[in-house]
Amino acid sequence: MPDFVAPTLDLHALAPEFVLAGVVCVLLLLDVVLLDRAKAIVGSIAGLGLLGSLVPILTLATSDHPTRTMFGGSYVVDSTSLLLKALFIVSAYVVVLLSTNYIGEGDYWESEYYTLLVSSVLGMTVMASARDLISIFVALELLSIPAYMLAAWSKRDGRSNEAGMKYYLMGVFASAILLYGMSLLYGWSGSTQLSEIGRAIGEKNSPAVTLGVVFVLVGFAFKVSAVPFHMWAPDTYEGAPTPVTAFLAVASKAAGFVALIQVIGQALVLRMNVMIPVVAVLAALSMTIGNLIALRQTNVIRMLAYSGIAQAGFMLAPFVASQYGGIDAIVIYLVLYAATNLGAFAVVMAIARRTRSAEISSFGGLFSYSPGLAVALSVFLASFVGIPPLGIWYGKLSVMRALIESQGRWATVLAIFVALNTAIAAYYYLNVAKTMWFDDAPEGESTPIKVPTSLRFAVGIALVATIALGVYPGPLTDAATPEATPAAAPSGR
Amino acid sequence: MLLNQFLLLAAILFSIGVYGVIVRRNGVLVLMSIELILNAVNINLVAFGANSGIAGQVFALFVIAVAAAEVGVGLAIVLLIYRNRRSVDIDQLDELKG
Amino acid sequence: MSSASDFLREYLTVLILGGVGAALVGLLLGASHLLRPARRQPGKSLTYESGVDPVGTGWTQSQIRYYVFALLFVMFDVEAVFIFPWATRLEAYGGFGLVEMGIFVFILLLGLVYAWRKGVLKWV
Repeated sequence: MPDFVAPTLDLHALAPEFVLAGVVCVLLLLDVVLLDRAKAIVGSIAGLGLLGSLVPILTLATSDHPTRTMFGGSYVVDSTSLLLKALFIVSAYVVVLLSTNYIGEGDYWESEYYTLLVSSVLGMTVMASARDLISIFVALELLSIPAYMLAAWSKRDGRSNEAGMKYYLMGVFASAILLYGMSLLYGWSGSTQLSEIGRAIGEKNSPAVTLGVVFVLVGFAFKVSAVPFHMWAPDTYEGAPTPVTAFLAVASKAAGFVALIQVIGQALVLRMNVMIPVVAVLAALSMTIGNLIALRQTNVIRMLAYSGIAQAGFMLAPFVASQYGGIDAIVIYLVLYAATNLGAFAVVMAIARRTRSAEISSFGGLFSYSPGLAVALSVFLASFVGIPPLGIWYGKLSVMRALIESQGRWATVLAIFVALNTAIAAYYYLNVAKTMWFDDAPEGESTPIKVPTSLRFAVGIALVATIALGVYPGPLTDAATPEATPAAAPSGR
Repeated sequence: MLLNQFLLLAAILFSIGVYGVIVRRNGVLVLMSIELILNAVNINLVAFGANSGIAGQVFALFVIAVAAAEVGVGLAIVLLIYRNRRSVDIDQLDELKG
Repeated sequence: MSSASDFLREYLTVLILGGVGAALVGLLLGASHLLRPARRQPGKSLTYESGVDPVGTGWTQSQIRYYVFALLFVMFDVEAVFIFPWATRLEAYGGFGLVEMGIFVFILLLGLVYAWRKGVLKWV
């Protein structure tokens, strides 16, 4: 047996994860010691802890060696992973802001809620750096298992139970299939490290590899709710408590994409011939079907769920152009999508606090009595449509650029799909905006909606991020572009 | 070669598990089918690991631990649903549609 | 790897696997449907066809309290799996391993303390 050599830990690079793990332990300890009295402070501690874990990310981003590798290449901290970690943490912070009133007012268990939320974020930050099948799997489960519980959080509400059950069954089934694919990839390459797998499956091909790749892609397709594996998403989003829905729709989905980016970018680049058709079909179906179903939704949250499926299609598309900056385009799109989507959920929550409904018709005349909320929601909707200079327009631009530059057959077809679907999507987004601005308010709705400070703050953060990143996307592009391109050989197309 | 028999066994278990997930309507039995898939994965990993180093067995240990956590959460959700509806038939979960 | 036939052959594997799977299910279910005689009698659907009359349904309930204990047992039992490999080579892993295991056990203990404080360890 070879002697054991303790791996060198780069504590600075691991600091964000350590802080988050510490916050989880502190929240649990507080709950254990104070029991019910902890309720008053857990929310603020979770928020502060999340902000605290941003500090090491900032120091890492500004340090001289932005790229740090540990455990023989299984754990990599580079500028892209830092950007993604920041994305997860800020999204979770906004979700904490959204939860403060919602969870406090409802009949919920608060301490456990925040503990689970932060552990899920811990899983996401690990995911952003994992370059090994085992760490990817453990990170994926660490982020999913708390999410299953959060979706079923309102215990006495049958709808929330149902949301949790559907999410759980689909998620667990997906990760089982994913694991089977991973086991085949491991068996063929003899290593769990993505770069080794990439090398091994690039040299030799076998049916087992193809099966493995297809199973892995199907497993992740469930996680990012790509058509035809999307059935759980609308039901889960509608039934789960709304802050949890925002978390699932933004952070959880982004984490699924991060895992896909890792696996495809590091391991499957040399099997593009297997991967491209699967991904292209998933992307095209997600965009088209997501948008077509979104057209006839009357509930804003369900509409956002289906639009999220369509947006997942936009984000899947650049994978077929992985060697032409497609991956960077996905990262950029993810960040902008997160800002816009969180903002939209925050405004919908603020409105639903009073109207007790998320039906589109209940938004009628919003501008006349609550102009601030109406303007904010209009900004987010316009960003979804892709109107410059608001947020997502730059994401769409990056996606199109990557697709067109790659000049592949599939990429060209997908570019056409993206263009068509952007047009379809504009209809239902702008329909909501029209209802707010021009329709009459329902009877008795004339006093302005009171928005709690935390919710106001959440909308503010999302608004600033959406507008600022849309107007001045330079730093975002820099962070999303890796300094050194990975040594990937041209694909065998 | 011995490896093939293990892989075949794993493939059969995997198929039975997928069949169970799709056909069974009882929440608890669906969970058991998912466990079958995970065990198929474990057989695969250990069989491959015998040829190519320790990583496969380590992976299998993680799968076992995570599967236990997953089932714990799953049973809790099933219990929750049973308390509210007196049934664990997942076809009856149809409040959310559209 | 560039011609279309290679490309198709790779997908052929997936197709064949799916086709064989579907055919097998169809064949087995179809064969059993054709071969078995169908004479329905209420007595046949009993759990024990020629034995004591069963009492209640197959889904009899046991005490819910067992569930929590069983679950806690399974969790800690399974987590112990990570301690065994460390214990077998305790000396080789040295201080590093000790610290790592200390953190691991601390988190496990936190879970146990949580269960204790929330009162699930009491048999009432």
